[in-house]
Amino acid sequence: MISVIKNSKWAGFTLALVALSVQAASAPQQINVKQYKTVEDVVVPLPGEVFSALNKLGPVNWKEYVRTEKSANFSERPRTALLLGNVIADGFIAVQAQDAPAVKEIGQRVLTLAKGIGVGASITPHAKAITEWADKRKWENVRHELDRTQNSVQQAMNELQDQKLSQLVSLGGWLRGTQILTAVVDRHFTPEGAELLHQPDLLRYFGDRLTAMPEYSVPVVQNIKQALVEVRPLIDTGSKPITPDAVKRINVITTRLDGEVVTR
Amino acid sequence: MSLLAGGVVLASVDDAQSFALQAAEPYVREGFQVREDYWGGDLAAGEKKAVRQQLFKGNEYWFWMGTEVNRARVSVHIYDKDGKLVEQSDSWQKGHFAAAHVVPTSTDSYFIIVAIEESPEERTHWALVYGFR
Repeated sequence: MISVIKNSKWAGFTLALVALSVQAASAPQQINVKQYKTVEDVVVPLPGEVFSALNKLGPVNWKEYVRTEKSANFSERPRTALLLGNVIADGFIAVQAQDAPAVKEIGQRVLTLAKGIGVGASITPHAKAITEWADKRKWENVRHELDRTQNSVQQAMNELQDQKLSQLVSLGGWLRGTQILTAVVDRHFTPEGAELLHQPDLLRYFGDRLTAMPEYSVPVVQNIKQALVEVRPLIDTGSKPITPDAVKRINVITTRLDGEVVTR
Repeated sequence: MSLLAGGVVLASVDDAQSFALQAAEPYVREGFQVREDYWGGDLAAGEKKAVRQQLFKGNEYWFWMGTEVNRARVSVHIYDKDGKLVEQSDSWQKGHFAAAHVVPTSTDSYFIIVAIEESPEERTHWALVYGFR
């Protein structure tokens, strides 16, 4: 009886090993990535994603980066789109700081901005949910609602055939997130923190999208386009690490751009 | 007519997304934040495509793929930009669901190769979602 059980166990183990081997065999260990057609859609990481990695490197005093001052309102849609992304990023910062009043204020600000460009209807339920979850201090839920908020804004813009505005929302968020990332790493430099800036393909993506928006010739958009060209060699360093000076320089650039995004 | 056809395509990718999210659900309980944004399209049986995605060292990621075609078999695998397979051994495939797990060793772009391995349909809609913690 025991030998039967033992044999059954070995048979089961062997079957499992064969199954695993079959799965491993179905995925080549090495491929030529250039031979594959690439899906055109790009999913831009939200600021919360890079903050998640940053948090693991050491404690961050997120409270000092929380911002709730009301920025200017703009009539130009591209400026409002950039600002929307920027303010949603502020939401992620407030979540990191677990600052419920700031989160709620930011939620309302996002709703106001979204209404200003005609996509407010899609945001109203998310703004309400952000307030409710912030009141309950359910930060994972707030993060999820911020993601849903940005996604809803962008979907609404796409439905209005305003895909370029949707891309500006992502860009606004990425700029603010990068400003904070560089501020944190500049204060306490680590090579691991600096490495989080290694995003050359994203930079290229944003540059290409801005080039395809000649109709949005407002100065801030042009300045961002120029700044991305400045930033690229600082982060596209191949196998070399990103230097403290590069981090500082990127922080200066993104801080300047942040000022242009939020003020008239 | 093309608008209607476009609407049907979009609806099917949305259907595929709901299956991809189904695959993701147990991982949400383990602390993974699943993104609202996702990729989707349609592929022929045996066809593959690459999704390029920025990943951050320090985070842990799962990519979940699904299709509403019950009798299809899909796969998803993760490679670094040099084409080296980098996914963890607990990545899995189960019929019209598949998932790949990666703990990036560097902050960089990665390639997520999605495939419809088999399908009774000429073209099969698919969706890919991802989560991190």
